[in-house]
Order: sequence, then structure tokens, then C-alpha cells
Amino acid sequence: MTQISRDMLMAYCDGQLPDSDRLAVENHLATNPEAAMEVALIQRQNDAIRTMFAPAGAEPVPARLRPGRLAAEIGRRRSHGWSWAAAAVVLVGLGLAAGWFARPLLDARPASAMLIADAVNAHTVYVAENRHAVEVGSDDSEHLSTWLSTRLDTTLGMPNLDAQGFTLVGGRLLPGEPDAGGRAAQLMYEDTSKQRVTIYVTAALSDREPAYEFTSYEGAEAFYWANARITCTVVGTLPEEQMKAVAGAVYSQLTEGDVSSGQPYRG
Amino acid sequence: MDQFLDQVEACVPALRRYARALTRNLDLADDLVQDCLERAIAKRGLFRPTGPVRAWLFTILLNLYRNALRSSHRRGEQVDIDSVPEFATPAPQPGHLALAEMARAIETLPLEQKEALLLVALEGLPYQEAADILQIPIGTLMSRLGRARAALRVITGTPAEPHLRTVK
Repeated sequence: MTQISRDMLMAYCDGQLPDSDRLAVENHLATNPEAAMEVALIQRQNDAIRTMFAPAGAEPVPARLRPGRLAAEIGRRRSHGWSWAAAAVVLVGLGLAAGWFARPLLDARPASAMLIADAVNAHTVYVAENRHAVEVGSDDSEHLSTWLSTRLDTTLGMPNLDAQGFTLVGGRLLPGEPDAGGRAAQLMYEDTSKQRVTIYVTAALSDREPAYEFTSYEGAEAFYWANARITCTVVGTLPEEQMKAVAGAVYSQLTEGDVSSGQPYRG
Repeated sequence: MDQFLDQVEACVPALRRYARALTRNLDLADDLVQDCLERAIAKRGLFRPTGPVRAWLFTILLNLYRNALRSSHRRGEQVDIDSVPEFATPAPQPGHLALAEMARAIETLPLEQKEALLLVALEGLPYQEAADILQIPIGTLMSRLGRARAALRVITGTPAEPHLRTVK
């Protein structure tokens, strides 16, 4: 006869004893009152535990414990989370894309636009001045030419605009765009009715490419050009025909010779 | 509803019953079950459909319960056994085993014995499944069951007459 272990008695009480062992245990219990009492005790414990706690399993399940509902809530929270994450990704992406496509507008804002803006600003500031319109007056035009030529690192002659009715008032040195030598020269001309035009000259841009632009900026007319030696912006508020005549004269006098060779102008 | 949720739903009454027996508190028990279900549904991707959903759920529930107990012990909160609500049927049972007395006796068991005893005696789970849930060898489960039942017998005052030889 097989030995009956405590584990077997428990398994018998718990209904987990294999059929093959059940008969052996029952025979054992029939002849062994101690084992029978042990089994009865365990069974009473099991009965008591079920009596106390089993009813909780028969209660109606509250709505908050319904898996379908919980899954829907989790899905909602998740999609919420995902939509926020997706929105963040989209926004960052849009920002990057916008930044990328705006690069030409921001980073590569044309040098001509900056120079024209600088020229017009300088024009607006100094044409309003009477006593301090210029740093060096036209009576010392030779010094003016030498000084500005040195500072701009190019030979700069003073254009003669007599034919257009304008005489040189003088000139000054200004801070300029880093890409155009960091300095700029402003020459101021005036006609008999005290109308003023300015010429804003810088050293050549790093690309040394020729360029031409005639534009309006902040209420002033600006004619800009660039070559391998200089950039020049003629600024004024003259009528368009008069403005073109002045700009043409300045252009022809400052682009004498081979302007693509990089050689200095004759003084 | 998908099959997984159906399987989970079928386990909810058992989980509530087990949690109630562990915590002896309806609200705490249902909170525990809700946490367990949320955890399970959120991590359903981790569940391998080869094993039974029920064992997986019980394992999650027990882990949550142990964690909650640990943190409440850290906070110094103890459940007062005398505050345990009365049971619906306090009538004495055969063998003079009063249910309330039995309930208190179960409360005094070490958690590892209580977990095991309730899985087997209340839930009627096969030993192997109970051992899997508790992540212990089946021999360890049997030993815990034996100690739990012996302790209940001593605590409830029933004379422990027979000393069975444990034969391996």
C-alpha cells in the first residue's frame, strides 16, 4: 500500500488528487481515524473560507471594472497622448520645414537689399542735417577722396554731377555691412533748390558679382549696382526722370575702365 | 469586443472575490482589481496567448497588492483586524469553527501563506496554476498550504491531535 503523505491528504481535500490515488487515500482514512480527522479539519477550513468569501464573486460587477469600458478609456487616453505627441511632432516638423524653406529669406537675404536699406537710412538721417550734413566738406574734395579711398580700400573719385544740376556737399564715413568691408562712404550732393541726393559706396561684396537694381525703399528711390570693386547706391527723392539721370551719371563715372579686372579706379 | 477582453471579463468575479478576501475591504479590493485590469489591458501586448489569462491577471493583482502593502507599511499604516466588517453568516459551523474567528485567524497568517491558501481553498485553482501565479515551485506551494492549515488549526483552537508523518 502506498504511503499517504500530508500533501496527499490536502490534495484529497482540495479535490486535486489523481483518481489513481483517491481510492488509496479513502482506504487509509477508513482505517486511520487521525487522518480522517485531519481531512475533516481541512475540509471545514475550506468550507469556512468559501462561506466567508465566495459570495463576493457572485455580486454584480460594477461598471468601473468592466474590461471593455477600461479598454476604451485607456484607448482614449492613449490616442489623446498620441495626438498630443503627433501634434508636437507635426509642429516641430513644420517649424523645421518653415525654417528650411525660409532660409533664403532669412540667411540669404540679398546683400543688395541690406545695402539699399543702409543707404536709404543713411540718406534719411543726413539729408535732414544742415550744419552737420557731412564730415568733410567739398572744399577739401581732394582730402575727401583720399580719405574715403583709403578707408574703403579702393580708389574712389568724386563723381561730377554739374550736368544734372547737383554739386558736391561733402562726404562722411559710416559703419557698413561686414560682408562689404564693414565701412561705407556717403557722398552728398545738392541742387540749387536744396534737394539732396546721396551716394553710398562700399567695397565690393565677397561674390564680386555685377548686379543692378532700381527700387523704392521707405519713400526714397534707390539705384543700386555692384561690380568687382565696389557697391554703389544712389538715393534720393527726386522725380523718377531726374533720379535716373543722376544715377546714370554716377554709374558712368564710377564704372570707367575695366570694372571686372579688380583694378582701382583712377582717382 | 475582442477575445482577450472577453477572457479578462470572465475573470473579474474571481479577481474581486480574491481581492476581497485579501484586503477584507470592498473598496480597496475593487480598487485593486481596477488597477489590475487597467495594467493588464494596457500591457496586453506583453501577454503571450499561450498561457492562461487568469493566471496572468492573478499575478498582476498580487504584485499590486504586495506593492501597496509595502508602501502602506512604509507609511506605518496597519489594518486593524478588529475593524474588519462583520460577515453575513456568523453562525457557528460544525466543529465549532466560528467564521469570524476563522477570518481573524486568516488575517494573522503570513502573507505568503494567505495568498497560497486563498488561491487553492477559495479559488479552487489547480496547484500548478497557483504555483505559477505565485511564481514558486509546486513543492513550496504545498509547504505553504500545509503550514497555513496547521496554523489555522492552532489559532482556531482545534486540538491538533494527529501528527501525520510527512512521507516523501
